[in-house]
Amino acid sequence: MKRYVYINEDESSHDLYRDNRISNRKYTTLNFLPKNLLEQFSRFMNQYFLLIACLQLWPLITPVNPASTWGPLIFIFAVSATKEAWDDYNRYLSDKKANEKRVWIVWNGIKKQIKAQDIHVGNIVWLRENDEVPCDLVLLGTSDPQGLCYVETSALDGETDLKTRVVPSACMGIDSELLHKIKGVIECPNPDKDIRRFDANLRLFPPFIDNDVCPLTIKNTILQTCYLRNTEWACGVAVYTGNETKLGMSRGIPEPKLTAMDAMIDKLTGAIFIFQIVVVMVLGVAGNVWKDTESRKIWYVEYPNEGPWYELLIIPLRFELLCSIMIPISIKVSLDLVKSLYAKFIDWDQKMIDDETGTASHAANTAISEDLGQVEYILTDKTGTLTENKMIFRRCCINGVFYGNDSGDAFKDVELLNAIEAGSTDVIRFLTIMAICNTVIPVQSKSGAISYKAQSQDEDALVHAAAKLHMVFVNRNSNILEIKFNSSSIQYELLETLEFTSDRKRMSVVVKDCRSGKIFLLSKGADEAILPYAFAGQQTRAFVEAVDQYAQMGLRTLCLAWRELMPDEYREWSLSFKEANSSLEDREWKLAEVCQRIERDLEVLGVTAIEDRLQDGVPETIETLRKAGINFWMLTGDKQNTAIQIALLCNFISPEPKGQLLLINGKTKDEVYRSLERVLLTMRITTSEPKDVAFVVDGWALEIALTHYRKAVTELAILSRTAICCRVTPSQKAQLVQLLKSCDYRTLAIGDGGNDVRMIQQADIGVGISGREGLQAARAADYSIGKFRFLKRLILVHGRYSYNRTAFLSQYSFYKSLVICFIQIFFSFISGVSGTSLFNSVSLMAYNVFYTSIPVLVSVLDKDLSEETVMQHPQILFYCQAGRLLNPSTFAGWFGRSLFHAVVVFIISIHAYAYEKSEMEEVSLVALSGCIWLQAFVMTLETNSFTILQHLAIWGNLAAFYIINWIFSAIPSSAMYTIMFRLCRDPSYWITIFLIIAAGMGPILALKYFRFTYRPSKINTLQQAERLGGPILSLGSIEPQPRSIERDVAPLSITQPKMRNPVYEPLLSDSPNSTRRSFGPGTPFDFFQPQSRLSASYSRNCKDN
Amino acid sequence: MGQFELPIESSFSAMDVDGGGISTASSLSSSVPPPSRRKKALYQFTQQSLPACKPVLTPAWVISTFLVLGVAFIPVGIVSLHASNSVVEIVERYDAECVPDAYKSNKVAYIKNGSISKNCTKLLKVDKLMKAPIYIYYQLDNYYQNHRRYVKSRSDKQLLDGLQNNDTSSCKPEESNGGLPVVPCGLVAWSLFNDSYIFTRGAVPLKVNRKNIAWKSDRDHKFGKRVYPFNFQNGSLIGGGKLDPHIPLSDQEDLIVWMRTAALPSFRKLYGRIEEDLHPSDLITVNLTNNYNTYSFGGAKKLVLSTSSWLGGKNDFLGVFYIFVGSSCIFISLVFLLLHLKDSRPCGDATFSYWNRKNVSL
Repeated sequence: MKRYVYINEDESSHDLYRDNRISNRKYTTLNFLPKNLLEQFSRFMNQYFLLIACLQLWPLITPVNPASTWGPLIFIFAVSATKEAWDDYNRYLSDKKANEKRVWIVWNGIKKQIKAQDIHVGNIVWLRENDEVPCDLVLLGTSDPQGLCYVETSALDGETDLKTRVVPSACMGIDSELLHKIKGVIECPNPDKDIRRFDANLRLFPPFIDNDVCPLTIKNTILQTCYLRNTEWACGVAVYTGNETKLGMSRGIPEPKLTAMDAMIDKLTGAIFIFQIVVVMVLGVAGNVWKDTESRKIWYVEYPNEGPWYELLIIPLRFELLCSIMIPISIKVSLDLVKSLYAKFIDWDQKMIDDETGTASHAANTAISEDLGQVEYILTDKTGTLTENKMIFRRCCINGVFYGNDSGDAFKDVELLNAIEAGSTDVIRFLTIMAICNTVIPVQSKSGAISYKAQSQDEDALVHAAAKLHMVFVNRNSNILEIKFNSSSIQYELLETLEFTSDRKRMSVVVKDCRSGKIFLLSKGADEAILPYAFAGQQTRAFVEAVDQYAQMGLRTLCLAWRELMPDEYREWSLSFKEANSSLEDREWKLAEVCQRIERDLEVLGVTAIEDRLQDGVPETIETLRKAGINFWMLTGDKQNTAIQIALLCNFISPEPKGQLLLINGKTKDEVYRSLERVLLTMRITTSEPKDVAFVVDGWALEIALTHYRKAVTELAILSRTAICCRVTPSQKAQLVQLLKSCDYRTLAIGDGGNDVRMIQQADIGVGISGREGLQAARAADYSIGKFRFLKRLILVHGRYSYNRTAFLSQYSFYKSLVICFIQIFFSFISGVSGTSLFNSVSLMAYNVFYTSIPVLVSVLDKDLSEETVMQHPQILFYCQAGRLLNPSTFAGWFGRSLFHAVVVFIISIHAYAYEKSEMEEVSLVALSGCIWLQAFVMTLETNSFTILQHLAIWGNLAAFYIINWIFSAIPSSAMYTIMFRLCRDPSYWITIFLIIAAGMGPILALKYFRFTYRPSKINTLQQAERLGGPILSLGSIEPQPRSIERDVAPLSITQPKMRNPVYEPLLSDSPNSTRRSFGPGTPFDFFQPQSRLSASYSRNCKDN
Repeated sequence: MGQFELPIESSFSAMDVDGGGISTASSLSSSVPPPSRRKKALYQFTQQSLPACKPVLTPAWVISTFLVLGVAFIPVGIVSLHASNSVVEIVERYDAECVPDAYKSNKVAYIKNGSISKNCTKLLKVDKLMKAPIYIYYQLDNYYQNHRRYVKSRSDKQLLDGLQNNDTSSCKPEESNGGLPVVPCGLVAWSLFNDSYIFTRGAVPLKVNRKNIAWKSDRDHKFGKRVYPFNFQNGSLIGGGKLDPHIPLSDQEDLIVWMRTAALPSFRKLYGRIEEDLHPSDLITVNLTNNYNTYSFGGAKKLVLSTSSWLGGKNDFLGVFYIFVGSSCIFISLVFLLLHLKDSRPCGDATFSYWNRKNVSL
């Protein structure tokens, strides 16, 4: 399907395509209530509670007051509906703001201003500098005579550099006045979300140009939410509008996230539900049988001989209601409450405040803190996330002389400053190349200060550095480059720009010195792309060493070189260059060849070293988290070398011989397949070895692999603890997250730029770094933090505690409901299986809502281990990851405990209160007190750390129980009138209660002690060590301990190197034991070639589509 | 039960710590120490660093807890058992024996036949000295006063307010009779127990105090002083006992006792008190009227004379269970002690390993 856009002919497309109204709303005013209710009732628990609440309206079967269910139910629904409505209202407001923005369009040849929402396909939109693009446009004209304009696309793909866009050839040179009247047709595909592709044709109608078809590419478009920069004006025709723009199509409403724990709780709820149904059926049948055999004989019950048709259902339904408390309605409220408190703890945490900017961490999604503790994979962006995304020129080596080595900062190196002062030719040339061998655009503000717009951060760093060293790049005026050196102005005429490509790994410019008329070729590029082309006599050893040295320090290196061209040579070459430039087939290849011809016999001047500093604490954070069993994948748009470089620096991968890198590459299906197979083979063999194996893949190979060999990639994902994916697009990042999720891993995606947004939304947990690339990622994320290093605390402290606390809270909630429910069930056996409730409505409601819910809420303050201990022993996170604290078997423990406690309470209270004491209200209150006391002691036993609040809650709750019951006992009209006073005066009540406590808690204490001392989990061991001042364990002496690990967990005895060499070993040197251990010699082995020189290079250029 | 409170064995956790400590330490030191106590507490709360005691289950503590529990429980058990044993009670089941031989095969017909005299005489022999007051209970077995249909069939409002309260729907199926409401309504009142007992020691009648057998609170606040039985037991189906329509409900103590429904299918209800001692070898004759129908559902009726102790009536359960729990505790503490002596591992002796979550397989 295609769409035809008629330029400037409003009517033809007016009805066909939508206007430019953006809508991100989920609801409308009308459908809010039904849609929201429908959504809420799609959860099983809610359906269940609704059903129970409805059944309770039937007085024949209800054991308690219906209000006890309806109240909480309505409350829960109102709260979540309000929240949804508020969110949607905010979305509406932001949409409105965007929709009502004024934009200029041309209509019938006249410029006029309209609201952005009124733009239609085919309208010509006029933009001025710094305007936001309101919809997807095809460029028609710009203020630039060459038809160029610059756009910032950070909102679209997260890249902050400026991109150039060009007017289609057919429109080139049309006068701006004529543009108003331009007519034509654009044939373009239907809207899609690919922001890198736009395959369309443009045909202008006469009188502009004859009917030639002009091809359009993405380079001819400017997309919604981009900003027009450094261009006075630009105009274009709207092709996609509203939600049909490329951005709108890729937006998608993020799905609500459900934590693994919620899923587990749902599962357990389901199991309890099934159990409940079974109990209800058994009791229902038993009840009906008893009724027919026994009750008919009991004259004092007066069963009618003929009942209504639904008579058989009555008893089962009564039991259903009686057992409905098995699934505690309070659990949802409690969980929501504690979850928002977890989130608040994250917001409040003083240790997660970024000192530099003062930004505190923020949990935007309050519902998923437990998942933080269960993370298994972290997918991280590189630039801006691990690094500061602040390129700084640090060192250089000019003609064999190292500058900046002593201080680590070339600007402070006196020798360099002296050399500049002295005007040493090499240094001057070096600086000149730094200043003008680039595509940077200097922008002079009115105050005279010069700022630079660079497409690559490296170029930006170099130009700034040159300016700091008195070589100021002042102006780029069409072809004249003007630089200022020590107040003298030098002008160069730019003859050619030999652009950067990832194959050539270098870029050059050909300039003519305006004074002397000499022509120079200035080049800069990766060492392997420059040094081999040095002229025959030059010794490059010094440069090789310099590059080595810098690379080992983690600096990005570039080699600078130059050559003077003879005019004849240039003229000759220039012709072939122009020819190659205009060729239609294999243009890139031909260009490369032509460039190659002139980029030879270079005189290498020196090496620059640029630092993209790692953020503070990144290596430590990654090391700790890797110890905690979290696997790291790095997904970056950067080049492979740079990525590996950074990965090494931040402990991502271990250097030789511990680490091993496997490369997956290839341009075709077959190549990729072969290399994938080889890597998989290696992986399978090396899993048993204590090695850090990581695979490296680039975007191209990944695309092929994901499309054709998904299964193999999945296996790879499972096998590999570490991966580096370079040159990946935002959608590939999201795909990788999807892949890991499909293997049932908990993923956390962390990033800082707009290009990470999709990955962040896709992952189970999205963490945004509120960083240099704006707040986009932080806004889309569930959590935003100021610095990468806070991730450690976020996961190990907040995630872990949240998990532990929720695990306890949810199971405890079930436990306490089950206790009371079991007692009811037992009681039904001595009450003629008729569905009598032992407890009255007030007690039941207060039990669920008050007595047992308040104390458990303070478990949000519980800490099983102190923060320091967890940080020292991050492995302990394993318990959370593997879900050890909440799973069917722990739940079975709680289930058993509730059964046991119910038996204890029931047996003791009916026997102690037998015969003349067996008054209903008294027995009921004895049993209830027994439960409450047991709950208090269970809480006490399960609490690891008591703050004053816990004591208050547990013992205060117990006191409150008595006070409340005394109050009820003082009200003559209540059923409990005088009962509690009677009991409290009665010594046998207290004796009974103590007996219940001892009989109920004794075995549990004994079991717990036995486990704690003789079958301790790692947590117990650490608790003992921490509290009894045991030996502080050093992680250096860790030995694998096979016994402690359950069968389903294969011990992978990876031991971190205790000491790391101060200078990192070069990755993958040709040590034989690393490469050929598992393979016979001669096995084709796609090993990442030894890179003694991990040169960093400028990579940003290549991002430009 | 103070033993249960865990001793404070541990340090208070220090306020600050970040394992990372790279540059985070500065954030804390730079933050101004909160001035007031409340602010400090709030700060500690938000930072989750409230001072906390972290008890730990040490062998010494656990073993001594069980030991103390055991040592405390056994004497309590013995005392309870002693109290229970000091209670003297005479239990006489009479429902079967009071049926004339002619009706032995069809007891239901006997009880339903109003023309047959229901009088019956029983001889009770006192074995031990019974000190006054001696409580007279009637005990019903296999009688479900806790049946849902039964429990719900009453109107507490009506009992207090009488006919002013028209809503007797909760009393179904005994809410009205011939179009007129019944006071007291409901199955519970309708099935009022109506056997009666007259005691004589030797030839002298024993005085039985039938006053104050119901709870005072019930008489005062649950049953109306101006509420008189109305239209009670007038229907085609007669349940249990009848009530004197001239005595207000608050004085109908048998009814009040009966309306305190029992939680168990076997229960005793107070009939009266004998306020003189009974001596061993005293022979007591009970003249009873055997009106109440327990035959149709296989229940049992018993007459119980019992003294009372501080713990209530005769009930060995608490004493026996206390001794059982106490000795179990001592046993457990001994087992743990042995375990501890045999294998006293130092606490915190841990070795760590790396864990990997999923087995590597496809």
